[in-house]
Amino acid sequence: MENQKTLINGLDIAATRAAIATVAAQPGAAHAPKASRIRWLSGLKFKAFVRNHSFLVDEPAHLAGEDESPNSMEYLLGAYGACLATGFVLNASQQGITIRNMEVSLESSQNNVFTFLGLESEGHPGFEEIRAKLYVQADADEDTIREIWDKTVNTSPVHNSLARNVSIKPELDIIP
Amino acid sequence: MSENGGLPLYPVTVVGSWPRPAYLLDALRKRQAGRLSFEEFNAVADRAVLEALRYQEEAGVDIVSDGEQRRDNFDSFVVEKLEGVELMSLAEIMDHVEDKASFDKILRSLDAPAFAIHNPTVTGKLRMRMPLALDEYRFLRKHTHKPIKVPLPGPYLLARSMWVKGVSDSAYPTQEDLALDLVEILRNELIALRDAGAEFVQFDEPVLTDVVFNAGVKERTFMCASMAASSGDPTKELIFATRLLNSVVEGVDGVKTGVHVCRGNWSRKDEVLLKGSYEPLVPTLMGMQIDQLVLECATPRAGELAVFEHYPRAKEIGLGVVNPRSDEIETTGHIIGKVNEALRYFAPEQIYLNPDCGFGTFAERPMNPAEVAGQKLRAIVKAAEQLRATVH
Repeated sequence: MENQKTLINGLDIAATRAAIATVAAQPGAAHAPKASRIRWLSGLKFKAFVRNHSFLVDEPAHLAGEDESPNSMEYLLGAYGACLATGFVLNASQQGITIRNMEVSLESSQNNVFTFLGLESEGHPGFEEIRAKLYVQADADEDTIREIWDKTVNTSPVHNSLARNVSIKPELDIIP
Repeated sequence: MSENGGLPLYPVTVVGSWPRPAYLLDALRKRQAGRLSFEEFNAVADRAVLEALRYQEEAGVDIVSDGEQRRDNFDSFVVEKLEGVELMSLAEIMDHVEDKASFDKILRSLDAPAFAIHNPTVTGKLRMRMPLALDEYRFLRKHTHKPIKVPLPGPYLLARSMWVKGVSDSAYPTQEDLALDLVEILRNELIALRDAGAEFVQFDEPVLTDVVFNAGVKERTFMCASMAASSGDPTKELIFATRLLNSVVEGVDGVKTGVHVCRGNWSRKDEVLLKGSYEPLVPTLMGMQIDQLVLECATPRAGELAVFEHYPRAKEIGLGVVNPRSDEIETTGHIIGKVNEALRYFAPEQIYLNPDCGFGTFAERPMNPAEVAGQKLRAIVKAAEQLRATVH
């Protein structure tokens, strides 16, 4: 009998598990190294390169940008939401739970963005609070869904990056 | 003392590039920024060429070069000379190519930003705007009676580095298509230089070591900034390179030809450079219809000369006997030791002495100041004089 793909929530679970196992077997894979390169275009517009992809980063018009794309903090908020969504789909699918609909809605506030804008010196411009709400319709009872959501939040890479201290090492190279 | 076309035994020469003085670098930057015309830049470069010549003549070099003072590096200078080639920054190239990741990898290995690295990139059909090196030769000829060596980028180097998928394929669908035009351009230049009296034309093909030491790597590598893309099949690449060079030189008599192959001398950090013996390349080098192999032999990373034992006296060798990237001035004993080793495989009249590579492969990153480079040349000359004296 020919093996058929098992798709759940659009994921081939067997293939996903095999891909994860392959990655896990590679030395150093646990640290999941990543790289990005940001090129200045003009004004407050930049192009970010990651692997073979690229995307624009711009500021909204009211902050002197051309509003052609989200700004850095908006990407970060979107990244957090997408990371939570990714984790939820992965975790639910691995338990065989069908998701009929889902959406993550986020809101944030920053401590004092005026320090970034050079208007004030007290406080910091980073996120002070992020509220992330998952809306979901799935074929599972409430307790199971909550359990998957808790696991998703606790194991989200972006959540852990925002919630923990990250060792950040800025460097400068002046090109003649 | 044996003589070699009027030259003494063990002629001393250079590989090509010489450190650029600060005023020349300033003029080069202005030229690249469009603030200096080609003529204005060359007027400044004339002075630097004569200074480079003076260093060589005072050291006692037998075959001189113009120090590549007019070039920003050994291959991208063709942008000035050819229509259809643009000096594109990696930043510009990354906008057009699919394989952005391999360019990013190159930048990380260099620890450099995309805006600072440029590649001569074919954007249209090639046409000569002016000679590649004939004018450089003519200027030097007016100021020295010594034989002159003119370095040119090899056809394989140019084909690999200048053809960028996503940018060049509208003019030349494949790298091989581009190579046909490059062969014609280089061949015409070789003949013109010969007819003008140039004694020695050297074709630079450093990427050949990338072929054998990075075998199987299809993505672009940063071998001497050539940004070279390969098929990943070393045999295919070496056959291609040989065919191209032979097409350039075939039947052109009356000028000595050479091919220079090194492992990269653009950094003092050995760990970013290639290393390995010439052994995998020797059969290919022997298949090239050129007179002389200009090789780096001064450092351990080059391996042993014994790799030539199966090809005794088959070609001349431009024996690299000093390291352009080190501070120490090599001793006479060290240099003579290298020559004695070479004498096992080459006849005395087949051995020329030179540094492993140029002293300023990239104008902005010389490997040594001119004074040290001059002392290294003087060390070679001293060793050559001693060797000649022992022949009697």
